[in-house]
Amino acid sequence: MSETDKNTIPPQWSVKLLRFLLKDEYLEEIQGDMEERFQDNLEQFSANKAKRLYAWDTLKLFRPMLIRELKRDYRLNHMAMFQNYFKIGWRNLLNHKGYALINVLGLTLGITGAILIFTLVKYHLSFDTFHAEKDRIYRVTSEFHQEEISREANVPQPMGKALRDDYTFAEKIAMVYSDSDLLVSTPSSEDNKKFKETVAFVEPEFFDILDFPLIQGDKNTILTEPNTVIITERIAEKFFGDKNPIDQIIRLQNKWDYRITGVLQDLPINTDRRDEIYLSYSNLKDYNSWLAGDSWRGVAGGMHCFMLLKPEVRPSEVNKVFPELSKKYYNERDAEIYQFKLQHISDIHFNPDLGGYLAKKNLWALSLIGLFLIITACVNFINLATAQALRRAREIGLRKVLGSKRGQLFWQFITETAIITMLALVLAFALAQLLLPYLNQLLDIRLQINIFQDVYLLIFLPILLLVVILLSGSYPGLIMAGFQPVLALKGKLSQKHAGGFSLRRGLVVTQFVISQLLIIGTIVIANQMSYSRETDMGFTKDAIVMLSVPEKEKSTIGAFNSEISQLAGVEKVAFCSRAPASEGWASVTVRFGSRTENENFDITVKAGDHQYVPTFGLQLVAGRNLQPSDTVREFLINETAVKRFGEQSPQDVVGKRMRIGLNNSEGTIVGVVKDFHNTSFHETIAPLCITTSTKWYSSCAIKINLDNLQFTLSALETSWKEVFPNHVFEYSFLDEQIVRFYETDNMIFRLIQIFTSIAIVIGCLGLYGLISFMAAQKTKEVGVRKVLGASLSSILWLFGQEFTRLLILAFVIAAPLAWWVMQNWLENFTYRIEIGAGIFTLALAATFLVAMLTVSFQSIKAALANPVDSLRSE
Amino acid sequence: MKKNRLGEFQELVLMTVIVLQEDAYGVEIQRNLEERLNEHLSVGAIQTALKRMVEKGFLTSEFGEATQKRGGKRKRIYQATPYAHRVLREMKDIRSSLWQAMPDLGLSST
Repeated sequence: MSETDKNTIPPQWSVKLLRFLLKDEYLEEIQGDMEERFQDNLEQFSANKAKRLYAWDTLKLFRPMLIRELKRDYRLNHMAMFQNYFKIGWRNLLNHKGYALINVLGLTLGITGAILIFTLVKYHLSFDTFHAEKDRIYRVTSEFHQEEISREANVPQPMGKALRDDYTFAEKIAMVYSDSDLLVSTPSSEDNKKFKETVAFVEPEFFDILDFPLIQGDKNTILTEPNTVIITERIAEKFFGDKNPIDQIIRLQNKWDYRITGVLQDLPINTDRRDEIYLSYSNLKDYNSWLAGDSWRGVAGGMHCFMLLKPEVRPSEVNKVFPELSKKYYNERDAEIYQFKLQHISDIHFNPDLGGYLAKKNLWALSLIGLFLIITACVNFINLATAQALRRAREIGLRKVLGSKRGQLFWQFITETAIITMLALVLAFALAQLLLPYLNQLLDIRLQINIFQDVYLLIFLPILLLVVILLSGSYPGLIMAGFQPVLALKGKLSQKHAGGFSLRRGLVVTQFVISQLLIIGTIVIANQMSYSRETDMGFTKDAIVMLSVPEKEKSTIGAFNSEISQLAGVEKVAFCSRAPASEGWASVTVRFGSRTENENFDITVKAGDHQYVPTFGLQLVAGRNLQPSDTVREFLINETAVKRFGEQSPQDVVGKRMRIGLNNSEGTIVGVVKDFHNTSFHETIAPLCITTSTKWYSSCAIKINLDNLQFTLSALETSWKEVFPNHVFEYSFLDEQIVRFYETDNMIFRLIQIFTSIAIVIGCLGLYGLISFMAAQKTKEVGVRKVLGASLSSILWLFGQEFTRLLILAFVIAAPLAWWVMQNWLENFTYRIEIGAGIFTLALAATFLVAMLTVSFQSIKAALANPVDSLRSE
Repeated sequence: MKKNRLGEFQELVLMTVIVLQEDAYGVEIQRNLEERLNEHLSVGAIQTALKRMVEKGFLTSEFGEATQKRGGKRKRIYQATPYAHRVLREMKDIRSSLWQAMPDLGLSST
């Protein structure tokens, strides 16, 4: 447009505004008037002024008499229209039952998955959020700066006192030590019941920091006196039934009596502090004088320090103070090693390095899967709806002729989507309720879905509903609303008008990508899990029963040993601190040979008698086994330790002296064992030594003959009762203990398995719907082809080729993505599988198989149909 | 009379329509009135008055010719109804009787 032209036309935005504003019936006249005025003004004034006047006049047209009435649409009976949409929508569902079923089923599964995942994620995110002062609650954690930095949630026992005496930044500080599997009995009840329980020694301030309310007892005096205890309602009920638990006595380890002075409300499900028996902290010294001692060097598992910071203190300020504290209580070298840091309470559940249950990224991964489920379900819906759109062409054409607007048709379709989605939501909610107990059982948690008490769920559901409706309804809605009425009525609309096949292809590819991602993920996790389970750990783990030894006197242990050794099913018996692979382990400083300095790494110590090596089938690569002894005299070390000592061959270390930081014991290295996995495959094999020391034996490993398992176990129990009449007999199998290393991995695996199956089912439903539609569309084509001599296989290929191509395209997208994600996951394991081509081939084959099974049913039906039937009506 | 009250501005517009006869369309009416009243009027003001009077039955209208100057848009020619003529006359009578009834305050009438 030239400059002069530009100056002789009114400003375009005003023209647009005017068109938008004015009632249709006045538009031509008034626009003409405005134009004429503008031309008059151009003759009189400058172009700019004329334009300004035009714009100004346009604004002055904003009068109720002249402009469109916003309310005009509402004069229609909208309720009636809505009722009509609803009725037509409902009839449509009933008319196409198969289509409706697939849609409702797909959405139901997707939404169910989303609800369950939401509940699960919310449950984990809610951990320890109920404490009133949660913003100010911290736990002190330790960092050991040696060759590598390792972190622990445990701290030296004097930490609490030191922080209290030397610093003022905390409002409250409480030490708590918890230990599991302790014998607790109730001597005051006539039957003197015995239980194995987890107990905690705790300072009373603990209950000022964390919110575990008392229902009986005085908050100001609980646990201040020695030999007092508070328990939860659940434990009170378990121990004493209906009797009032206050002032009852419980006995710990058959030795110490405690008087109950308070009862706590049952613990909420969303806390990681699961202790239910709290003993007075001053009694820790009775239980274990070493634990209660003032040593800064020992860090015992289970010893935690909680603090409530003053409101004005920031955690970073406290972290700056810790090096100073280390300097004060350690010598120069150790002050470098022992470092401390605060951990906020919200991090406790999510930090696996510090004993947290689950890393947050797992939750995000789960949420992503939930999103995938929703997307897959919506994709189904869009695919089916657009494929079906042509069936509705005449209805839409007629509605348009009768005056329906695009917007109205769009909302009509959204209404139909809403009907289906709402139906699906109700079903999904019921299904989620139904499935929840199984999920709880599977994951060993206690989730609940209670829509009326759960604000988050109450917000989540409508949002989910809205998202699903808009996501799945808007595209088909736009397509249908955009039909040209003339073409629609003439029946001349083709698939091209209904969104085209390319969009649907894109959506199918999306679904395939999601399914393949999930399938590859599942296969990789399954492989790694079975690798962890089945790979030789370097020792025998099958047919070994582990008992915990309650008393460590030599005579009792000896008696028990001789008692069970003669049982028919028992092959070997070893007394030890722990099995070769265990979750908790003790590592101490070590000095090799005649060196004058400690090594710059710690060595893991396993105490075990001379039967330890044969019972667990450990292999000696040099030297000989340990001689029987009650104290530390000889050592076996593993190959890793040899390497870390800087020695070339195992033979070189045999006969050398070694000193470890466990009561400063010294002894001779008499042999080297082949490396075995001393913990889960997540961790590298640590330098390790095995030595005799009766006072550290807390377990008894019994290799049994599996032939007569039940008999052997009951014989073991009988022997146990003779030797330890006051203790509870409990056993576990070593291989089961090892499986428990991977509890979290297993849980994630199960979840992914479940949700992958759901995603695949939804995808298949969609595919099935789409192929049924295609088959119906191609009835004539298939008829003509058959008449012209096409074979069955070529007709099957007609249907199959499309999907094969899409599937391969999806694979090309999914494979690298899956490889990257799973490689990241595998990094968590030091010992892991390789993601080989086999996994990808398997995934591709699995998807292909499932897709082809889905496709083949309908396509075979189409291919076998008699062409006479399909062509006769032409 | 009451319900079909004619506003002052509407009365002026109505009379202009009658004056202009076949030429009585929006812009022409506006030009004519602007000249007579010697003030600037907006399209909106004229149009609102016209539409209101159509609604009240004082005016009828039909499309006229389209011109280049109007960007090809047709004019709408307005015509007063007999009812409008009657109401105008009534109003004039009321006015003149009032003028006659007014005492002479020494102001010269225009």
